[in-house]
Amino acid sequence: MKKFMIIIGLLLVVFSFASKDVIVVGTTDKIRTLDPANCYDYFSSNILQNILSGPVDYEIGTANIKPWLFESWDVSDDGLVYTFHIRKDAYFEDGTQIDANVFKYSFDRVMKLNGDPAFLLTDAVEKTEVVDKFTFRVTLKNKYSAFVSVLGYTVAFPVNPKVFPKDKFYEGAPSASGPYKITEWIRDVRLVLEENPKYFGPKPKTPKIIIQFYENAQQLRLALETGEVDIAYRHLDPRDILDLKNVPGIKVYLGPSPQIRYLVVNVKQKPFDNPLVRQAIALAVDRETIVNDIFVGLAKPLYSMVPAGMWSHEDVFPKRDLKAAVEILKVAGYTKDNPLVIDLWYTPSHYGTTEADVAQVLKESLEQTGVIKVNIKYAEWSTYVEYFLNGTMGLFLLGWYPDYLDPDDYLWPFLSINGAKSLGSFYENKNVEDLMTAARAATDQFSREMIYKLVQNIHAAEAPYIPLWQGSADCEAHDYIDGIVLEPTQIFRYYILERK
Amino acid sequence: MSLKSYIITRIILALPMILILLVMIFFILRIIPGDPVLAILGGKAPLEVIEAKRHELGLDKPIVVQFFDYLKDVAKGDLGISTLTNRPVWSEIKDRFPATLELTIFSFIFALIIGIFWGAEAAWRKDKTLDISARVYSIFIYAVPVFWLGLMLQLLFGIYLRWLPVGGRLSPRVSLDIKTGLLLLDSILNWNWEAFWDVLKHLLLPGITLGLVISSIFLRMVRNNTVLMLSKDFVKAAKARGLKPKVILYGHAVRNAFVPIFTIMGMQFALLLAGAVLTETTFSWPGIGSYLVLKIKYRDFPAIQGTIIFFAIFVVIISIIIDIVNALVDPRVRY
Repeated sequence: MKKFMIIIGLLLVVFSFASKDVIVVGTTDKIRTLDPANCYDYFSSNILQNILSGPVDYEIGTANIKPWLFESWDVSDDGLVYTFHIRKDAYFEDGTQIDANVFKYSFDRVMKLNGDPAFLLTDAVEKTEVVDKFTFRVTLKNKYSAFVSVLGYTVAFPVNPKVFPKDKFYEGAPSASGPYKITEWIRDVRLVLEENPKYFGPKPKTPKIIIQFYENAQQLRLALETGEVDIAYRHLDPRDILDLKNVPGIKVYLGPSPQIRYLVVNVKQKPFDNPLVRQAIALAVDRETIVNDIFVGLAKPLYSMVPAGMWSHEDVFPKRDLKAAVEILKVAGYTKDNPLVIDLWYTPSHYGTTEADVAQVLKESLEQTGVIKVNIKYAEWSTYVEYFLNGTMGLFLLGWYPDYLDPDDYLWPFLSINGAKSLGSFYENKNVEDLMTAARAATDQFSREMIYKLVQNIHAAEAPYIPLWQGSADCEAHDYIDGIVLEPTQIFRYYILERK
Repeated sequence: MSLKSYIITRIILALPMILILLVMIFFILRIIPGDPVLAILGGKAPLEVIEAKRHELGLDKPIVVQFFDYLKDVAKGDLGISTLTNRPVWSEIKDRFPATLELTIFSFIFALIIGIFWGAEAAWRKDKTLDISARVYSIFIYAVPVFWLGLMLQLLFGIYLRWLPVGGRLSPRVSLDIKTGLLLLDSILNWNWEAFWDVLKHLLLPGITLGLVISSIFLRMVRNNTVLMLSKDFVKAAKARGLKPKVILYGHAVRNAFVPIFTIMGMQFALLLAGAVLTETTFSWPGIGSYLVLKIKYRDFPAIQGTIIFFAIFVVIISIIIDIVNALVDPRVRY
C-alpha cells in the first residue's frame, strides 16, 4: 500500500510538472486552411500568426506596426516603389533561410493562385523583384498609403518554397518560421503547437499549446468549467460570459474589437432610394437596447463606420431621436395613416445566436416612431449573400471584420462603387470616390485623417449604411493563466501565455 | 438461380439506385438557393474574385455539363475537391469516417445487448411485468427524438453529475498515436490505457444515446420472433427432454428466431451510420454526420454529394452482404 501511494505521489508530481508546460485552449472556431495564399478567415489567420513570421508585426497590445522580417524599407518619391530590407537570421523549421527569393516566391504564388485573400495583393502590386539576397522590391499599381498595413495580414507572410507547391494550394501544416511549429493536427478535433527551435524571436513562454475544437458554445463553457481547457477563446454566448464573471477561479477578459455591425440600405430600392427614409431609420434605431439587453454590455454603440479608437474616427451619426425621425418621415410623405412599410432581413446562424433578437429590437425601435411598420425576414448565409449581391434585400444586417487595420478598410470597401455593389448598398458618389482615392495617395496621416473625417460626414448625411455597434473581444480563462492580451489587432498570441 | 448469379444481380441492381440518388442530389443542390462561392467569400471579396472562383470551381458551366463532368470524375473514383477547404473530399471522408464507424459499432453492440437479452427474457415471461415494461420501453424510446435524449443524458451525466464528457472523442491532454482512426482500437494497439479509458468515457454518452434509440427496434423484433419460436414443436420437444430454460430460450428459440432479425439488424447498422447525424451534432462527435451538416451550411457541393454517395454505397454494400449471408443460411431466399 505504501509503495502504491509513493508511485501515485510521484506520478502526481510528474504530472503537475508536465502540465506546467502545456496550455489547452478551447474554441468553437474552425481552421479552413493553413495556406496563407488561400486563408481568409479569422481563426486560420490567427494560427498562421503564431507559426509564421510576417514582413511586419504589431507591438504587443497596440495597433502600431513594427518591422519584423522586413528590418526597414524605403519608399520612392512617387510612392510607388517599396524596397524592403530583410533580416538575415530568419529560417523555416527545416533550416531554409528566409530571403528575397522566398518573398518573391510567396508573393508571386499568392497572386498566381488567386485564392480568397489574393485581391489584397493583386489590387495593389504591379510587380515584385529580387534586388539582392536580402533586398526585395515591390512596385505598386497606384499610390497606396495603407500598403504596409496590408503586409501585416497573413496573405503577405512568406512560405517555405520547399513545402508549398508553386501551382496549387497546400493542404497540410506549414513549415514554421514563427514561435511554434505544428506537431499534430486532427482537423476539427485538435491542433498541437510546440516550440520552434529555429525561430529568431523570443522563446514561447509555454512550450506546448493544444488547441481543442468544440462544436458549440455550451460545450466550450463546460470544458472550461471542468478544467478540460485552460482558456476559452471564441465564442461563448454573451450571457455565459456574464455568468462566468461570477464563477470563482475563472477570469473574463474583455478587449477592444475592430469588428463592426451595421445595417445596409440598398439605395437603389424603393423606398430606401429616398435619403430621408435612410436618415429617419438612422435616427430611430435603438443601439443602446441592443448593446445592453442583447450583448449585456459586451458591445458598444457605434456612430461611424470607422470603429471607435481608430484614428480618424468621428461620431458622425446622430443619437436616437424619435421625434426628429417622425418629422423627417413626414417630409418624406409618411404618417401614421400612411406608414412606411419595410422588410428587415437577417441571417440566423452566421453571426451567432443573438441575431434574431437584434432584428426584433430593431423592429421594435423603428415601430416606436408609430410611422414605420417592419416585417422581419431571414435567409441562410449562402442565400443571404446571393440576395444582397442581387439587390433583393432593401434593409439588412451585416458585419465587417477588417483585413488590415486602417480606416481605409472601413471606408473603401463600403463606399467605393465596386465595394458598395459587393456589399449590397449600391451606393455611388463620385465626390466620395475621389476623396478616398486622394486619401490612398496621401502619404501623411494628417491629410488622410482630414479626408476620412470628411468622407464619414458625407456618409452620415447619405446613410447607405447605418452603423449599429462595435463588438468587443473576449477570452475566458482559469486564474492561473497569465499573458492573455486582447489586442486591438485581434492577434491572439499563444507564445506569451503561461501558467503562474 | 445460383448464389453467384444472385450476387451479381444484386450488385447490378444497386448501380441504378446509386445513379438515381446521385442525379437527385446533384440537381436538388443546384436548384435550392445558396451558392458555395458566396457562402465562402461572403461580401468581402470583389465581384471579379467571386466570378473567378466560380469559374475555377466550374460553377459557371451549364448545369448539364457540370453533371457529366461530375459523373466522369465519380466513375474514376474522384469525389472532387471541397470548395470550403480545397482538400479532396475522399480524404476528408476518410478522416471522418472512423469516428462514425466507432460510434456506430459501439451503439450497435449496446443495442444488441439490450435487444437480445431483454427481448428474449420478455418473450419467456410473456404478459408478465418484464414483458410489459419491455413493450412500453420500446414504444417510448422509439418515439423519443434522438437529440432530445442526447441532451437529457448530457444534462444529467455531463452537467449535473459531471461524470462523463459531453463532447469530442478524446480529452485535449491525452495523446494517442492514431493508426486506424478507431480510437478504442488504437489505444489498445498502443497499449495506452489512459487513452482507452478516456476514449471510452467520451464514447459512452453518444453511444448510449444512439444505442437506446436502436435498441427498441431490436427488442421488439427479438421478443416477437422468440414468442413465435417458443410456441413451435421443437421448443416443446426440448422442454419435454428436460433441458434447462436458458438452453431452451437461447440455444433453441432465440437462435432460430435470428434469421429475420439478422436482416433487420444489418439494415439498422447501415441506417445507424446515416442516423448518426443528429447524435454527432449533439455530442460534437467529429464524424461524417457532423461533417455533412457543416458542409450543407457552406453549400459545399462536392462534399455533400460525395458524403451522400459514400453513405449510399455503404448501405448498398451492407445490404448485399446481408442478402448473401441470408442466401447462405436460408436457400429459399435465392430466387
